[in-house]
Amino acid sequence: MTDSEVVRIENLSKVYGKGHTAVTALRGAQLAVDRGELVAVLGPSGSGKTTLLTAIAGIVEPSAGRVVISGTVLYDDGWRIRDLRRFRREHLGFIFQSHNLVSFLTALENVVLALDINGVRGPRAAAIGRELLDYLDVGERAQHLPEQLSGGEQQRVAIARALANSPAVILADEPTAALDTERGKSVMALFRRVAREKGSAVLCVTHDHRMTEGFDRIFRVKDGQVSSVLGGDPQVEDAREEGRISAADRST
Amino acid sequence: MNLAIRDIKYSLGRFLLTSVGVGLLLTIVLSMSGIYRGLITEALVLIRGVKADLWVVQRDTRGPFAEPSRLPEDVRYRIAIVPGVAEASPFVLYTIQRERQGKALRMTVVGYDVATGAGGPSRILVGRGLGQKHFEMVADEKLGLALGERIPLGLHEYTVVGFTRGMVGSGGDPVGFFSLADAQEIQFVKDNWAVRNARERARAAYERALPTQPTLPQTLAREFADNPDLHQVNAILVQLDPLADPARVAAAIERWGHFTVFTSAQESDLMLMGNVDRARRQLGLFRGLLVIIATVIIALIVYTMTLDKLKAIALLKLIGAPNRAVVGLILQQSLALGLIAYAIAVTLGELTFDKWPRLVLVEAQDRLLLLAVVVVVCALASVLGVRRALRVEAGAALTG
Repeated sequence: MTDSEVVRIENLSKVYGKGHTAVTALRGAQLAVDRGELVAVLGPSGSGKTTLLTAIAGIVEPSAGRVVISGTVLYDDGWRIRDLRRFRREHLGFIFQSHNLVSFLTALENVVLALDINGVRGPRAAAIGRELLDYLDVGERAQHLPEQLSGGEQQRVAIARALANSPAVILADEPTAALDTERGKSVMALFRRVAREKGSAVLCVTHDHRMTEGFDRIFRVKDGQVSSVLGGDPQVEDAREEGRISAADRST
Repeated sequence: MNLAIRDIKYSLGRFLLTSVGVGLLLTIVLSMSGIYRGLITEALVLIRGVKADLWVVQRDTRGPFAEPSRLPEDVRYRIAIVPGVAEASPFVLYTIQRERQGKALRMTVVGYDVATGAGGPSRILVGRGLGQKHFEMVADEKLGLALGERIPLGLHEYTVVGFTRGMVGSGGDPVGFFSLADAQEIQFVKDNWAVRNARERARAAYERALPTQPTLPQTLAREFADNPDLHQVNAILVQLDPLADPARVAAAIERWGHFTVFTSAQESDLMLMGNVDRARRQLGLFRGLLVIIATVIIALIVYTMTLDKLKAIALLKLIGAPNRAVVGLILQQSLALGLIAYAIAVTLGELTFDKWPRLVLVEAQDRLLLLAVVVVVCALASVLGVRRALRVEAGAALTG
C-alpha cells in the first residue's frame, strides 16, 4: 500500500449461503483508491457493487481477501462488531440515495450527531456543524427538520454529516439517483470539491450514467470482479449489461 | 445529544396522548391500592371509633359486625357488676334503606346510650351531639342531609343536629347516630299499616284454629303485642378499669354461658378475616392483572415506537453509534412514558379520589410502590423493543 492510498482491496471474495444454494457476489476483486480521489464504481444490478461497498464499510465480512483502509486491515482476527463500529465512526463517512437523515433531528443536529457519536460534543460540535453546513451552502437551514428541506438540501446536509469527523473515505451509495440532473450535477461538483479541499477519498457506487463525468477514475463491477475502465464508453457498456439498448439500436 | 428527548419533542402530541392513556391505566392501578386501604379503614372505623375494651355479644356468634347478634338490653347491669368492668353500655347496629326526595337513603344506624356516650360519635364536625333521648340524630356528612332537616323514619321524625366525617359502616354506608331507644324503635316498631295487618292476621288465625288448639290464646297474646320486644341490643360495650385484666374479665363474663366476649383487636380481626379478606384478595387480583396489562401495553407502545425508528437505528449503527446509544434511546423513552403516565396518575388521583363513591385512601407508600412498579414495568417493557433494535443491521441503512 502506497502512502497516498487510503483504500486497498486485495483478492476480495464473498460467497453468500452454502452448498448448492451458494451465491458468489465477489470473486477476487482488486481496487485501490488514493487520498483526495473521486472514483465511481459502476455496474448493473446484482453485479456485486453493494457487497463491495458493505465490505469496505465494515458491515459484511468477506469470505476471503483483505480490506485495508488508512493502513488498517479490517476484519483482522479478533475484530468485533464494536471495533468495526468504532472504525466506521472515526474513518468513514456515508452518503445515501435517500439521504437517510434522522427525521426528528434538525439539519444541524444531524451533523452534530456524527460528531457526538465520535465523542465531540457541546459548543465545539455545534461550531463544526455550522461550519460544514455553511461550507455546503445550507447554513441558513440549520434549524430546519429534514421534512422541511428540499431533496438537494437534504443531500447537502447528508454530505455535511459524512464530512463531520474528517473521514479518510466517504462511501456514497447512489447519491444522485433521487435527484434531477441539475441537482445531481451540483452534488457531483460538491464531491469533487470535498475530495480536493478536504482530502477525503470519495467512492461513489452508482449506475446513474448521467453523472460519470468528472470522476478521477471509474471502476466497473461485473460478475463479482472489479476492473478499471480504460477507454470505451462505460455508459454504453453498462447500458448493454442491463439490456437497456435494444438490438435494433446496436445494429444502427 | 439526547436522542430520546428529541424524538419525543418531534412527536410530542402522540407521545403525550399515549402517556395520558397509560396514565389513566395507572390511575386505576393506584385506585386499587386506595380502595383496598379505604375498605380496611371503613371496615374498622366504627370499631376504632367506639373505643370499647370488650365487646359482649350473643353466644357463639361473631357479632355485631361480622354477623347478627342479639342480647337482652338489661344484661348490661349484670355485666356492669363484674369485677374490673368500669362501664357497660348497650350498642345497636343495623343498616336501613329508606326513600328520601325520590332517592334511596341508605345508612348504618348506630344506637347508643346517650347517658354514657359509649358507641356514639367520637367527634362532631358541625353542630352538636345528641342532647336528648329522642327524635334527634347525628348524621355523617356523606348522607347528604342538612343541619336541622327532619328525617321521617318509622313512626317519627328525627332532626339532624350534627355531622360527623368519615363515619361509615363496614359496607361503606354512612352512619346515622341515634339514641338507643330511637334506634330500637326505628328497627322494631311497626307502623300503623303493619299493626292493622297483624291484628287482622291474628284474628283470622284465631277464628280458624281455636277449636283444636287450647294454647292458642297465649301464642296470640304475643302477636297482639303490637310492639313486641324493643329491648334487644346487638352488643354490650365494656370499658375496663385501668388495671383490669381483659382476659380475666372476659372469662368472668363468658362463665354465664350466654355470651361471647371479644376484645377490640379480635373484633377487628373478625372483620378483616370475613368480608374484607375476600374483597382484599379480589382487589389484589385486579391490581396484579392491571399491572400485567399495563406492562403488555407499555411493551407494545415501546415496540411500536421502536419500529418507527428502525431506519434511524440502522443509520446510527452504520455511522458507528455503540449499542448503548440505541438501548439508551429506547429505555429512556420507555421510562419517560412511564414517569409521565405516573405523574398523570398521581395528579388525577389527588384531584378525583375524594369524589369516588367509596373511600379511596392512597398513602405515600402506595405512590412509592407504584413508582417502583412503573420503573420495573418500563424496563421490562423496553426489552422487546431493545431486542428488535439490536437485531437491526447497520447494512439496512444502505440497502433500505
